[in-house]
Amino acid sequence: MGNRFQFPDLGVGVGLRTVHFGHILEKWPKVDWFEVISENFMDTEGRPLWVLDRVAERYPVVLHGVSMSIGSTDPLDRAYLKKLKALGKRVRAHWISDHLCWTGVAGRNVHDLLPMPYTEEALRHTAARVRQVSEILERPLVLENPSSYVEFKDSTMTEWDFLTRLAEESDCGLLLDVNNVYVSSFNHSFDPKEYVDGIPADRVVQYHLAGHTNKGTHIVDTHSDHAIQEVWDLYGRSCRRTGNVATLYEWDENIPEFEVLHAEALKAGAFREQAVLAAAR
Amino acid sequence: MQRWMQEVVVHPGDIAEAVASPSAKKALGRAAIEDVILPSRSLEPADRVGIYQGMYLMRMEEALESDYPGLKHLLGGHAWSALVRGYVAAHPSVTYTLNRLGDHFSDFVAKWPGAKRPELCHDLARLELAMAEVFDAPQTEPLSDAEIAAVPPESWERARLAPIEAFRLLSFRYPVNAYLQSVRDEDHNHPDLKRKDTYIAIYRRDYSVWRHDLSQAAFDLLTDLVAGKPLGKAVAAALARGGKRAPTTDQLFRWFREWAAGGVFKSVRLR
Repeated sequence: MGNRFQFPDLGVGVGLRTVHFGHILEKWPKVDWFEVISENFMDTEGRPLWVLDRVAERYPVVLHGVSMSIGSTDPLDRAYLKKLKALGKRVRAHWISDHLCWTGVAGRNVHDLLPMPYTEEALRHTAARVRQVSEILERPLVLENPSSYVEFKDSTMTEWDFLTRLAEESDCGLLLDVNNVYVSSFNHSFDPKEYVDGIPADRVVQYHLAGHTNKGTHIVDTHSDHAIQEVWDLYGRSCRRTGNVATLYEWDENIPEFEVLHAEALKAGAFREQAVLAAAR
Repeated sequence: MQRWMQEVVVHPGDIAEAVASPSAKKALGRAAIEDVILPSRSLEPADRVGIYQGMYLMRMEEALESDYPGLKHLLGGHAWSALVRGYVAAHPSVTYTLNRLGDHFSDFVAKWPGAKRPELCHDLARLELAMAEVFDAPQTEPLSDAEIAAVPPESWERARLAPIEAFRLLSFRYPVNAYLQSVRDEDHNHPDLKRKDTYIAIYRRDYSVWRHDLSQAAFDLLTDLVAGKPLGKAVAAALARGGKRAPTTDQLFRWFREWAAGGVFKSVRLR
Protein backbone atom coordinates (compact mmCIF):
# COMPACT_ATOMS: atom_id res chain seq x y z
CA MET A 1 0.00 0.00 0.00
CA GLY A 2 1.14 3.57 -0.58
CA ASN A 3 0.52 6.74 1.34
CA ARG A 4 -2.40 8.99 0.50
CA PHE A 5 -0.08 11.77 -0.73
CA GLN A 6 1.50 9.57 -3.40
CA PHE A 7 4.92 10.43 -1.99
CA PRO A 8 7.31 7.80 -3.36
CA ASP A 9 8.98 5.04 -1.39
CA LEU A 10 12.54 6.36 -1.76
CA GLY A 11 14.08 3.24 -0.22
CA VAL A 12 16.51 3.55 2.67
CA GLY A 13 18.61 6.65 3.11
CA VAL A 14 20.94 8.38 5.53
CA GLY A 15 21.38 11.90 6.84
CA LEU A 16 23.80 14.14 4.97
CA ARG A 17 26.38 15.17 7.58
CA THR A 18 29.46 17.40 7.24
CA VAL A 19 31.90 14.70 8.39
CA HIS A 20 30.87 12.54 5.42
CA PHE A 21 31.08 15.24 2.72
CA GLY A 22 34.53 14.12 1.54
CA HIS A 23 33.57 10.44 1.38
CA ILE A 24 30.34 11.13 -0.50
CA LEU A 25 31.96 13.42 -3.06
CA GLU A 26 34.74 10.92 -3.68
CA LYS A 27 32.83 7.62 -3.66
CA TRP A 28 29.26 8.56 -4.58
CA PRO A 29 28.02 5.64 -2.45
CA LYS A 30 25.02 3.54 -3.46
CA VAL A 31 22.58 5.18 -1.06
CA ASP A 32 18.93 5.44 -2.06
CA TRP A 33 18.45 9.01 -0.82
CA PHE A 34 19.67 11.69 1.60
CA GLU A 35 17.85 13.68 4.26
CA VAL A 36 19.29 17.08 5.12
CA ILE A 37 18.74 19.33 8.12
CA SER A 38 17.12 22.30 6.40
CA GLU A 39 18.51 25.02 8.69
CA ASN A 40 22.10 23.94 8.01
CA PHE A 41 21.74 24.99 4.39
CA MET A 42 19.41 27.98 4.49
CA ASP A 43 21.87 30.71 5.45
CA THR A 44 25.04 29.73 3.72
CA GLU A 45 26.42 30.00 0.24
CA GLY A 46 29.58 28.19 1.28
CA ARG A 47 30.72 24.61 1.00
CA PRO A 48 27.64 22.99 2.62
CA LEU A 49 25.30 24.37 -0.03
CA TRP A 50 27.74 23.55 -2.80
CA VAL A 51 27.93 19.96 -1.56
CA LEU A 52 24.14 19.76 -1.24
CA ASP A 53 23.73 20.94 -4.83
CA ARG A 54 26.08 18.18 -6.02
CA VAL A 55 24.26 15.58 -3.92
CA ALA A 56 20.85 16.73 -5.17
CA GLU A 57 22.04 16.26 -8.75
CA ARG A 58 22.57 12.56 -8.08
CA TYR A 59 20.25 11.48 -5.27
CA PRO A 60 16.71 12.13 -4.12
CA VAL A 61 16.70 14.63 -1.24
CA VAL A 62 14.25 15.29 1.59
CA LEU A 63 14.38 18.38 3.84
CA HIS A 64 14.03 17.82 7.57
CA GLY A 65 13.80 20.90 9.79
CA VAL A 66 14.26 21.54 13.50
CA SER A 67 13.13 25.18 13.87
CA MET A 68 9.63 25.51 12.40
CA SER A 69 8.24 25.54 15.94
CA ILE A 70 4.82 24.47 14.74
CA GLY A 71 3.45 24.20 18.28
CA SER A 72 4.68 27.58 19.52
CA THR A 73 2.33 30.34 20.60
CA ASP A 74 4.57 32.80 18.72
CA PRO A 75 3.50 33.77 15.19
CA LEU A 76 4.87 31.64 12.36
CA ASP A 77 8.20 32.90 11.04
CA ARG A 78 7.28 33.72 7.46
CA ALA A 79 10.82 34.69 6.46
CA TYR A 80 11.98 31.26 7.60
CA LEU A 81 9.20 29.54 5.65
CA LYS A 82 10.05 31.53 2.53
CA LYS A 83 13.67 30.42 2.70
CA LEU A 84 12.62 26.84 3.42
CA LYS A 85 10.36 26.81 0.39
CA ALA A 86 13.15 28.18 -1.80
CA LEU A 87 15.59 25.54 -0.57
CA GLY A 88 13.03 22.81 -1.21
CA LYS A 89 12.64 24.04 -4.76
CA ARG A 90 16.39 24.34 -5.27
CA VAL A 91 17.13 20.72 -4.33
CA ARG A 92 13.82 19.33 -5.68
CA ALA A 93 12.99 17.98 -2.22
CA HIS A 94 10.48 15.14 -2.33
CA TRP A 95 8.90 16.46 0.86
CA ILE A 96 9.61 18.80 3.77
CA SER A 97 9.30 17.65 7.36
CA ASP A 98 9.65 19.05 10.86
CA HIS A 99 8.63 18.02 14.38
CA LEU A 100 5.51 18.16 16.50
CA CYS A 101 7.04 20.53 19.06
CA TRP A 102 7.85 24.12 19.83
CA THR A 103 11.38 25.51 19.93
CA GLY A 104 10.89 28.85 21.63
CA VAL A 105 8.53 31.64 22.53
CA ALA A 106 8.65 35.43 22.92
CA GLY A 107 11.04 35.67 19.98
CA ARG A 108 13.63 33.28 21.39
CA ASN A 109 14.82 29.93 20.12
CA VAL A 110 16.24 27.39 22.58
CA HIS A 111 17.03 25.01 19.69
CA ASP A 112 15.38 22.03 21.31
CA LEU A 113 12.30 20.05 20.38
CA LEU A 114 10.16 21.02 23.35
CA PRO A 115 7.02 18.99 24.09
CA MET A 116 3.42 20.13 23.96
CA PRO A 117 0.41 19.32 26.10
CA TYR A 118 -2.00 17.15 24.15
CA THR A 119 -5.22 19.12 24.59
CA GLU A 120 -8.09 20.17 22.35
CA GLU A 121 -6.82 23.76 22.46
CA ALA A 122 -3.31 22.72 21.39
CA LEU A 123 -4.79 20.56 18.64
CA ARG A 124 -6.85 23.42 17.17
CA HIS A 125 -3.88 25.80 17.42
CA THR A 126 -1.41 23.42 15.79
CA ALA A 127 -3.77 22.19 13.07
CA ALA A 128 -4.42 25.78 11.97
CA ARG A 129 -0.69 26.44 11.78
CA VAL A 130 0.01 23.23 9.84
CA ARG A 131 -2.61 24.24 7.27
CA GLN A 132 -0.99 27.69 7.00
CA VAL A 133 2.47 26.20 6.53
CA SER A 134 1.26 23.74 3.90
CA GLU A 135 -0.31 26.62 2.02
CA ILE A 136 2.87 28.67 2.15
CA LEU A 137 5.08 25.74 1.13
CA GLU A 138 2.53 24.69 -1.50
CA ARG A 139 2.87 21.08 -0.42
CA PRO A 140 1.64 18.99 2.50
CA LEU A 141 3.83 19.38 5.56
CA VAL A 142 5.17 16.16 7.10
CA LEU A 143 5.42 16.06 10.90
CA GLU A 144 7.56 13.79 13.07
CA ASN A 145 6.61 12.48 16.49
CA PRO A 146 9.19 13.83 18.98
CA SER A 147 10.87 11.99 21.82
CA SER A 148 10.01 13.64 25.12
CA TYR A 149 10.99 13.69 28.77
CA VAL A 150 7.97 15.35 30.37
CA GLU A 151 4.22 14.77 30.34
CA PHE A 152 1.75 17.56 31.01
CA LYS A 153 -0.95 17.20 33.57
CA ASP A 154 -3.35 19.05 31.26
CA SER A 155 -3.06 16.49 28.46
CA THR A 156 -6.40 14.89 27.64
CA MET A 157 -5.27 12.45 24.94
CA THR A 158 -2.32 10.27 24.06
CA GLU A 159 0.38 11.49 21.72
CA TRP A 160 -0.68 9.04 19.01
CA ASP A 161 -4.30 10.18 19.25
CA PHE A 162 -3.15 13.79 19.04
CA LEU A 163 -0.97 13.07 16.00
CA THR A 164 -3.76 11.13 14.31
CA ARG A 165 -6.30 13.88 14.78
CA LEU A 166 -3.77 16.56 13.84
CA ALA A 167 -2.90 14.73 10.63
CA GLU A 168 -6.55 14.30 9.73
CA GLU A 169 -7.62 17.83 10.62
CA SER A 170 -4.70 19.53 8.88
CA ASP A 171 -4.15 16.91 6.15
CA CYS A 172 -0.46 16.52 6.86
CA GLY A 173 1.81 13.53 6.41
CA LEU A 174 3.60 11.74 9.23
CA LEU A 175 7.23 10.88 9.74
CA LEU A 176 7.11 8.05 12.25
CA ASP A 177 10.30 7.88 14.31
CA VAL A 178 10.10 4.45 15.90
CA ASN A 179 13.08 5.16 18.13
CA ASN A 180 11.26 8.23 19.46
CA VAL A 181 8.21 6.07 20.12
CA TYR A 182 10.39 3.67 22.09
CA VAL A 183 12.17 6.47 24.00
CA SER A 184 8.93 8.17 24.99
CA SER A 185 7.28 4.85 25.89
CA PHE A 186 10.11 4.19 28.35
CA ASN A 187 10.00 7.71 29.75
CA HIS A 188 6.20 7.83 30.07
CA SER A 189 5.40 4.15 30.69
CA PHE A 190 3.12 3.42 27.76
CA ASP A 191 3.03 0.48 25.36
CA PRO A 192 4.96 1.42 22.17
CA LYS A 193 3.09 -1.22 20.18
CA GLU A 194 -0.18 0.52 20.96
CA TYR A 195 1.39 3.76 19.64
CA VAL A 196 2.53 2.40 16.25
CA ASP A 197 -0.74 0.46 15.84
CA GLY A 198 -2.69 3.64 16.49
CA ILE A 199 -1.06 5.77 13.79
CA PRO A 200 -3.00 6.09 10.50
CA ALA A 201 -0.92 3.91 8.16
CA ASP A 202 -1.83 5.78 4.98
CA ARG A 203 -0.39 9.03 6.35
CA VAL A 204 3.06 7.61 7.14
CA VAL A 205 5.39 8.82 4.39
CA GLN A 206 8.70 8.23 6.15
CA TYR A 207 10.34 6.37 9.01
CA HIS A 208 13.25 7.36 11.20
CA LEU A 209 15.48 4.85 12.97
CA ALA A 210 18.24 5.72 15.44
CA GLY A 211 20.09 4.72 18.57
CA HIS A 212 19.59 6.26 22.01
CA THR A 213 21.20 6.44 25.45
CA ASN A 214 19.60 4.70 28.39
CA LYS A 215 20.34 6.63 31.60
CA GLY A 216 18.49 4.18 33.83
CA THR A 217 15.85 6.60 35.05
CA HIS A 218 15.09 7.78 31.53
CA ILE A 219 16.21 7.41 27.93
CA VAL A 220 17.70 10.28 25.94
CA ASP A 221 17.27 10.42 22.17
CA THR A 222 20.95 10.93 21.31
CA HIS A 223 21.20 9.41 17.82
CA SER A 224 24.56 8.17 19.00
CA ASP A 225 24.51 4.41 18.44
CA HIS A 226 23.04 1.40 16.73
CA ALA A 227 19.30 0.93 17.18
CA ILE A 228 18.36 -1.68 19.76
CA GLN A 229 16.38 -4.80 18.89
CA GLU A 230 13.16 -3.46 20.43
CA VAL A 231 13.30 -0.50 18.02
CA TRP A 232 13.86 -2.80 15.03
CA ASP A 233 10.90 -4.89 16.16
CA LEU A 234 8.69 -1.81 16.36
CA TYR A 235 9.85 -0.81 12.89
CA GLY A 236 8.98 -4.24 11.52
CA ARG A 237 5.59 -4.14 13.23
CA SER A 238 4.79 -0.76 11.73
CA CYS A 239 6.06 -1.74 8.24
CA ARG A 240 3.61 -4.62 8.25
CA ARG A 241 0.84 -1.99 8.49
CA THR A 242 2.23 0.64 6.14
CA GLY A 243 4.05 -1.42 3.54
CA ASN A 244 7.40 -0.20 2.29
CA VAL A 245 7.86 3.43 3.22
CA ALA A 246 10.97 5.61 2.78
CA THR A 247 13.23 4.98 5.77
CA LEU A 248 16.16 6.90 7.12
CA TYR A 249 18.81 5.98 9.68
CA GLU A 250 19.86 8.97 11.83
CA TRP A 251 23.26 9.23 13.50
CA ASP A 252 24.23 12.65 14.91
CA GLU A 253 26.55 12.06 17.87
CA ASN A 254 29.78 10.05 17.79
CA ILE A 255 29.14 9.83 14.06
CA PRO A 256 30.91 6.74 12.67
CA GLU A 257 32.56 6.14 9.29
CA PHE A 258 30.10 6.39 6.44
CA GLU A 259 30.20 2.61 5.85
CA VAL A 260 28.97 1.92 9.40
CA LEU A 261 26.06 4.31 8.97
CA HIS A 262 25.31 2.91 5.55
CA ALA A 263 25.29 -0.63 6.95
CA GLU A 264 22.51 0.39 9.37
CA ALA A 265 20.52 1.76 6.46
CA LEU A 266 21.02 -1.46 4.51
CA LYS A 267 19.91 -3.41 7.56
CA ALA A 268 16.72 -1.35 7.55
CA GLY A 269 16.23 -2.24 3.89
CA ALA A 270 16.42 -5.97 4.60
CA PHE A 271 14.25 -5.60 7.69
CA ARG A 272 11.39 -3.83 5.97
CA GLU A 273 11.38 -6.27 3.05
CA GLN A 274 11.01 -9.17 5.50
CA ALA A 275 8.29 -7.37 7.42
CA VAL A 276 6.27 -6.59 4.32
CA LEU A 277 6.67 -10.14 2.99
CA ALA A 278 5.52 -11.52 6.33
CA ALA A 279 2.46 -9.28 6.22
CA ALA A 280 1.61 -10.49 2.71
CA ARG A 281 1.63 -14.19 3.71
CA MET B 1 3.06 27.18 30.02
CA GLN B 2 5.55 27.73 27.16
CA ARG B 3 6.85 30.96 28.71
CA TRP B 4 7.35 29.15 32.02
CA MET B 5 9.09 26.14 30.52
CA GLN B 6 11.40 28.36 28.48
CA GLU B 7 12.33 30.40 31.55
CA VAL B 8 13.26 27.18 33.37
CA VAL B 9 15.14 25.63 30.45
CA VAL B 10 17.35 28.68 29.78
CA HIS B 11 18.09 29.44 33.44
CA PRO B 12 21.87 29.26 34.04
CA GLY B 13 21.63 27.84 37.56
CA ASP B 14 20.69 24.33 38.67
CA ILE B 15 17.15 23.07 38.20
CA ALA B 16 16.06 23.96 41.73
CA GLU B 17 17.21 27.56 41.19
CA ALA B 18 15.59 27.61 37.76
CA VAL B 19 12.21 26.48 39.06
CA ALA B 20 12.42 28.95 41.96
CA SER B 21 13.58 31.89 39.83
CA PRO B 22 11.34 34.99 39.86
CA SER B 23 10.88 34.85 36.06
CA ALA B 24 9.72 31.23 36.19
CA LYS B 25 7.42 31.90 39.12
CA LYS B 26 5.95 34.93 37.38
CA ALA B 27 5.26 32.88 34.23
CA LEU B 28 3.60 30.07 36.18
CA GLY B 29 1.38 32.31 38.30
CA ARG B 30 -0.04 30.64 41.38
CA ALA B 31 0.51 27.11 40.12
CA ALA B 32 3.27 24.79 41.30
CA ILE B 33 5.38 22.66 38.98
CA GLU B 34 3.42 19.60 40.12
CA ASP B 35 0.30 21.27 38.73
CA VAL B 36 1.86 21.34 35.27
CA ILE B 37 4.23 18.37 34.92
CA LEU B 38 3.54 14.77 35.91
CA PRO B 39 6.16 12.67 37.68
CA SER B 40 7.45 9.53 35.95
CA ARG B 41 7.99 6.20 37.70
CA SER B 42 11.54 7.33 38.59
CA LEU B 43 11.73 11.12 38.19
CA GLU B 44 10.03 14.03 39.90
CA PRO B 45 8.56 16.80 37.71
CA ALA B 46 11.55 19.11 38.28
CA ASP B 47 14.01 16.34 37.34
CA ARG B 48 12.13 15.77 34.12
CA VAL B 49 12.24 19.45 33.09
CA GLY B 50 15.86 19.43 34.24
CA ILE B 51 16.72 17.06 31.38
CA TYR B 52 15.85 19.83 28.91
CA GLN B 53 17.61 22.45 31.03
CA GLY B 54 20.84 20.42 31.16
CA MET B 55 20.83 19.89 27.42
CA TYR B 56 20.30 23.59 26.67
CA LEU B 57 23.69 24.82 27.86
CA MET B 58 25.44 21.78 26.39
CA ARG B 59 23.93 22.57 23.01
CA MET B 60 24.91 26.24 23.24
CA GLU B 61 28.47 25.26 24.16
CA GLU B 62 28.69 22.84 21.25
CA ALA B 63 27.34 25.41 18.81
CA LEU B 64 29.82 28.08 19.90
CA GLU B 65 32.72 25.66 20.17
CA SER B 66 32.30 24.73 16.52
CA ASP B 67 33.01 28.36 15.56
CA TYR B 68 35.39 29.30 18.42
CA PRO B 69 37.70 26.32 19.07
CA GLY B 70 40.67 28.65 19.56
CA LEU B 71 38.97 30.76 22.19
CA LYS B 72 37.84 27.66 24.07
CA HIS B 73 41.41 26.34 24.00
CA LEU B 74 42.78 29.65 25.25
CA LEU B 75 40.30 29.93 28.12
CA GLY B 76 40.15 26.28 29.18
CA GLY B 77 36.99 24.25 29.68
CA HIS B 78 35.83 25.71 32.99
CA ALA B 79 36.13 29.37 31.97
CA TRP B 80 34.68 28.54 28.55
CA SER B 81 31.55 27.08 30.13
CA ALA B 82 31.17 30.13 32.35
CA LEU B 83 31.62 32.43 29.35
CA VAL B 84 28.97 30.60 27.31
CA ARG B 85 26.56 30.61 30.26
CA GLY B 86 26.95 34.37 30.63
CA TYR B 87 26.83 35.00 26.91
CA VAL B 88 23.62 33.11 26.09
CA ALA B 89 21.94 34.74 29.08
CA ALA B 90 22.82 38.15 27.63
CA HIS B 91 22.42 37.22 23.94
CA PRO B 92 20.04 34.28 23.57
CA SER B 93 19.36 32.89 20.12
CA VAL B 94 16.56 34.77 18.40
CA THR B 95 16.68 33.13 15.00
CA TYR B 96 16.00 29.70 13.53
CA THR B 97 19.69 29.07 12.93
CA LEU B 98 22.51 28.56 15.40
CA ASN B 99 24.88 30.05 12.82
CA ARG B 100 24.05 33.51 14.14
CA LEU B 101 24.42 32.63 17.83
CA GLY B 102 27.97 33.98 18.03
CA ASP B 103 27.32 37.31 16.34
CA HIS B 104 27.97 39.28 19.57
CA PHE B 105 30.50 36.89 21.06
CA SER B 106 33.68 38.87 20.36
CA ASP B 107 32.25 42.09 21.81
CA PHE B 108 30.92 40.19 24.81
CA VAL B 109 34.22 38.50 25.63
CA ALA B 110 36.05 41.85 25.42
CA LYS B 111 34.01 43.04 28.41
CA TRP B 112 33.59 39.72 30.19
CA PRO B 113 35.01 39.95 33.73
CA GLY B 114 36.15 36.31 33.62
CA ALA B 115 38.64 36.91 30.80
CA LYS B 116 42.14 37.29 32.20
CA ARG B 117 43.37 38.87 28.97
CA PRO B 118 40.30 40.50 27.43
CA GLU B 119 42.12 42.18 24.52
CA LEU B 120 43.69 38.88 23.50
CA CYS B 121 40.35 37.05 23.83
CA HIS B 122 38.69 39.80 21.80
CA ASP B 123 41.25 39.49 18.99
CA LEU B 124 40.93 35.71 18.86
CA ALA B 125 37.13 35.83 18.87
CA ARG B 126 37.15 38.46 16.10
CA LEU B 127 39.36 36.20 14.00
CA GLU B 128 37.11 33.18 14.51
CA LEU B 129 33.94 35.20 13.88
CA ALA B 130 35.39 36.50 10.62
CA MET B 131 36.24 32.94 9.55
CA ALA B 132 32.68 31.83 10.25
CA GLU B 133 31.30 34.78 8.28
CA VAL B 134 33.58 34.06 5.34
CA PHE B 135 32.61 30.38 5.42
CA ASP B 136 28.92 31.23 4.94
CA ALA B 137 29.17 34.45 2.91
CA PRO B 138 27.39 34.82 -0.44
CA GLN B 139 29.23 33.26 -3.34
CA THR B 140 30.62 35.78 -5.82
CA GLU B 141 32.81 34.80 -8.73
CA PRO B 142 36.32 36.25 -8.60
CA LEU B 143 37.89 38.10 -11.49
CA SER B 144 39.02 35.67 -14.14
CA ASP B 145 42.44 35.75 -15.80
CA ALA B 146 40.72 36.90 -18.98
CA GLU B 147 39.01 39.80 -17.19
CA ILE B 148 42.32 40.87 -15.68
CA ALA B 149 44.10 40.54 -19.02
CA ALA B 150 41.39 42.65 -20.68
CA VAL B 151 42.36 45.72 -18.66
CA PRO B 152 44.71 47.85 -20.80
CA PRO B 153 48.06 48.31 -18.98
CA GLU B 154 47.71 52.09 -19.03
CA SER B 155 44.31 51.84 -17.31
CA TRP B 156 45.43 50.01 -14.18
CA GLU B 157 46.36 53.26 -12.49
CA ARG B 158 42.70 54.31 -12.33
CA ALA B 159 41.32 50.82 -11.74
CA ARG B 160 39.04 50.45 -8.73
CA LEU B 161 38.77 46.93 -7.39
CA ALA B 162 35.95 45.39 -5.34
CA PRO B 163 36.52 42.37 -3.12
CA ILE B 164 34.41 39.22 -3.20
CA GLU B 165 31.72 38.94 -0.51
CA ALA B 166 33.64 36.19 1.27
CA PHE B 167 36.52 38.45 2.25
CA ARG B 168 37.57 40.07 5.53
CA LEU B 169 40.59 42.19 6.40
CA LEU B 170 41.58 42.42 10.06
CA SER B 171 44.30 43.79 12.28
CA PHE B 172 45.10 42.44 15.75
CA ARG B 173 47.09 43.36 18.82
CA TYR B 174 48.30 39.79 19.30
CA PRO B 175 49.52 36.98 17.00
CA VAL B 176 46.18 35.19 17.18
CA ASN B 177 46.31 33.66 13.72
CA ALA B 178 49.50 31.79 14.56
CA TYR B 179 47.94 30.71 17.85
CA LEU B 180 44.79 29.45 16.17
CA GLN B 181 46.84 27.52 13.64
CA SER B 182 48.75 25.79 16.43
CA VAL B 183 45.42 24.81 18.04
CA ARG B 184 44.06 23.47 14.77
CA ASP B 185 47.27 21.53 14.17
CA GLU B 186 47.12 20.18 17.75
CA ASP B 187 50.66 21.55 18.09
CA HIS B 188 51.36 22.09 21.76
CA ASN B 189 54.19 24.55 21.01
CA HIS B 190 51.87 27.52 20.88
CA PRO B 191 53.40 30.83 19.83
CA ASP B 192 54.26 33.36 22.48
CA LEU B 193 51.16 35.48 22.98
CA LYS B 194 53.02 38.73 23.69
CA ARG B 195 51.67 42.00 22.39
CA LYS B 196 52.45 42.26 18.67
CA ASP B 197 50.53 43.95 15.86
CA THR B 198 49.48 41.42 13.21
CA TYR B 199 47.41 41.65 10.03
CA ILE B 200 45.45 39.13 8.05
CA ALA B 201 43.24 38.69 5.01
CA ILE B 202 40.60 35.95 5.16
CA TYR B 203 38.85 34.83 2.01
CA ARG B 204 37.09 31.88 0.51
CA ARG B 205 38.35 30.21 -2.63
CA ASP B 206 36.93 27.01 -4.11
CA TYR B 207 34.71 26.75 -1.01
CA SER B 208 37.67 26.63 1.39
CA VAL B 209 38.53 29.43 3.84
CA TRP B 210 42.07 30.77 3.53
CA ARG B 211 43.95 32.95 5.99
CA HIS B 212 46.80 35.01 4.63
CA ASP B 213 49.19 36.84 6.98
CA LEU B 214 50.04 40.32 5.79
CA SER B 215 52.69 42.92 6.54
CA GLN B 216 51.39 46.26 7.71
CA ALA B 217 52.25 47.80 4.33
CA ALA B 218 50.33 45.10 2.49
CA PHE B 219 47.40 45.48 4.90
CA ASP B 220 47.32 49.24 4.36
CA LEU B 221 47.41 48.84 0.58
CA LEU B 222 44.65 46.24 0.61
CA THR B 223 42.58 48.41 2.96
CA ASP B 224 42.79 51.27 0.47
CA LEU B 225 41.91 49.01 -2.45
CA VAL B 226 38.84 47.44 -0.86
CA ALA B 227 37.72 50.92 0.19
CA GLY B 228 37.56 51.76 -3.54
CA LYS B 229 40.69 53.87 -3.93
CA PRO B 230 42.12 53.72 -7.49
CA LEU B 231 45.10 51.37 -7.75
CA GLY B 232 47.51 54.17 -8.72
CA LYS B 233 46.56 56.30 -5.71
CA ALA B 234 46.65 53.32 -3.37
CA VAL B 235 50.15 52.40 -4.56
CA ALA B 236 51.33 56.00 -4.26
CA ALA B 237 49.96 56.14 -0.72
CA ALA B 238 51.73 52.89 0.16
CA LEU B 239 55.04 54.21 -1.12
CA ALA B 240 54.61 57.53 0.68
CA ARG B 241 53.57 55.87 3.96
CA GLY B 242 56.35 53.37 4.15
CA GLY B 243 59.35 55.35 5.44
CA LYS B 244 62.41 53.13 5.51
CA ARG B 245 60.17 50.02 5.50
CA ALA B 246 58.45 51.19 2.33
CA PRO B 247 57.61 48.39 -0.07
CA THR B 248 59.28 48.43 -3.44
CA THR B 249 57.17 48.83 -6.55
CA ASP B 250 57.99 45.21 -7.42
CA GLN B 251 56.69 44.07 -4.03
CA LEU B 252 53.48 46.03 -4.47
CA PHE B 253 52.77 44.49 -7.83
CA ARG B 254 53.67 40.99 -6.59
CA TRP B 255 51.15 41.40 -3.76
CA PHE B 256 48.54 42.63 -6.16
CA ARG B 257 49.10 39.67 -8.50
CA GLU B 258 48.87 37.24 -5.55
CA TRP B 259 45.60 38.74 -4.35
CA ALA B 260 44.11 38.78 -7.82
CA ALA B 261 45.22 35.19 -8.51
CA GLY B 262 43.90 34.17 -5.08
CA GLY B 263 40.43 35.29 -6.08
CA VAL B 264 40.17 38.22 -3.67
CA PHE B 265 38.61 40.63 -6.20
CA LYS B 266 35.29 40.23 -7.92
CA SER B 267 35.32 43.24 -10.23
CA VAL B 268 37.44 46.00 -11.67
CA ARG B 269 36.00 49.35 -12.61
CA LEU B 270 37.90 51.84 -14.76
CA ARG B 271 35.80 54.93 -14.20
